[in-house]
Amino acid sequence: MNRGLILIGIAFANAARGIRQASTTSLLAVLTIAVVLVLIGSAWLLVGNMASLLAEFGGELKLTAYLEGGLSEARQRELAERAGEEPGVLEVELVTREEALVRFERIAGSAELLEGLAENPLPPSLELTLAPAARTKSSIEALEATLATLPGIDELAHGQDWIEGYGRAIALVRGLALGLGCVLGLAALLIVANTIRLAVYARRDELDILALVGASRTFVRVPFLLEGTIQGLLGGLLALALLFGTYELLLPQLQYGLELVLGRAELGFFTKAQACLLVGAGALLGLLGSITAMVGWRSTS
Amino acid sequence: MTSAPGESPVRMYHVSKSYMAGQFALQDVSLEIRRGEFVFLTGSSGAGKTTLLELIFAAERPSEGQIVVLGRNVARLGAGGVPALRRRVGVVFQDFKLLDERTVEENVRLALDVVGTPRREARTRVFQLLKSVGLQHRRFHHPRSLSGGEQQRVALARALVNEPEILLADEPTGNLDPELTLGIMDLIASASTRGTTVIVATHDHSLIERYGKRVLRLEGGRIAEDIPATAGVERGVGA
Repeated sequence: MNRGLILIGIAFANAARGIRQASTTSLLAVLTIAVVLVLIGSAWLLVGNMASLLAEFGGELKLTAYLEGGLSEARQRELAERAGEEPGVLEVELVTREEALVRFERIAGSAELLEGLAENPLPPSLELTLAPAARTKSSIEALEATLATLPGIDELAHGQDWIEGYGRAIALVRGLALGLGCVLGLAALLIVANTIRLAVYARRDELDILALVGASRTFVRVPFLLEGTIQGLLGGLLALALLFGTYELLLPQLQYGLELVLGRAELGFFTKAQACLLVGAGALLGLLGSITAMVGWRSTS
Repeated sequence: MTSAPGESPVRMYHVSKSYMAGQFALQDVSLEIRRGEFVFLTGSSGAGKTTLLELIFAAERPSEGQIVVLGRNVARLGAGGVPALRRRVGVVFQDFKLLDERTVEENVRLALDVVGTPRREARTRVFQLLKSVGLQHRRFHHPRSLSGGEQQRVALARALVNEPEILLADEPTGNLDPELTLGIMDLIASASTRGTTVIVATHDHSLIERYGKRVLRLEGGRIAEDIPATAGVERGVGA
């Protein structure tokens, strides 16, 4: 068998032996990584779901341009085309006076309110669907300023001003999650590094003897790096399981609460790629912890 | 890399070792030890015996002078050079330095693992070596369950399993009863008869007299005497 493969096999066997021998410190490292990843994962899920809710509601954000009453149909279509060329406008729908009446009847239940009037008072309008990037207060204001200059447009209106506040809340939560993630990640790194340093210290006799019989630095260090990576991987898997369990447990209540407030709520867990990323982050944390622990270690032999 | 045939595996030129300014553990030591030679290092505690051995297996670097071991200048060995040198030098200590949580077989196999010896070959070699020291039946035992003499034989097997060109022993019988001492010394001496250069640090004069080998007596970090081997005193060797 190839000598390199034999050495890799020995490194894995030594790593497994190390985890078995220092089972308490190994368990501590796994739990530490799991706790940190649960916290980071929770913040990630919260931000992710808030962002998708925002995107969902943002899709309903439309800018309405009411047209002057006497415009010909050709002129109305021309204005619709012109508005569609504006940056940030995803789609333009022309709502004629007749269509506006139909909508009114649908909302009001009937057109009794308008029966006394000689003619349909509802103006034609353009309904502009905005691109996600243009769903901010400043973009909408810029678009309104441009459209207001077009002859034939009488009035501009947009609702859901709360979206702007919601966007700010998302940015705040995202920033907090990022900051918290960095702080927790660093704390976990130090804890894992110290845990592995304890394991190194507990096995210094073994390391000295290995050095004595001619083990290279790589031969001595790789099992510790593998140990850290395996512990990180296990911590990541444990965190994923805990997050999924909690998510499944709380989902009905959360959905009920959100439906009460927002009318509907489509909450989601991590995608497969995101779940792999979380577990991979655990492995990386363990590996970095091991590297930090091994820096400065020197055999006494 | 193997030193050239005929070249002495250990050469020291005006070597000094100081751990504190002005205090020398070894001072101006020059010597040459030939291939297959058996040498006793003797002297009182603190005379510099252990330091001299540590310089040979590159656990320490000289403060002054040059040491050439198996054709390599120890003072200039890089990070990769030390392990490569140690794979060619077996070392035995007074306190055995065995891992209690590993079996006898695993302890001996350590020296083969570090060079990536295939598992089957390693097991065969370990078995043969344990047989040669009379411990093949104890290979699955842990060191703690062995007597002092047996533990030292395991340590000796580990030192010899890679067929080293040099065997260093630092007070190898210091923790053993007199009746076990000769058994260990005979095993060490038998390595010398197979061509391994052997250096044994001891203050046991009865051993030195019994084996009649070359003696380097250290005193205050200097070589006070270099006594050549006595002819016709090979009776204890390999017995």
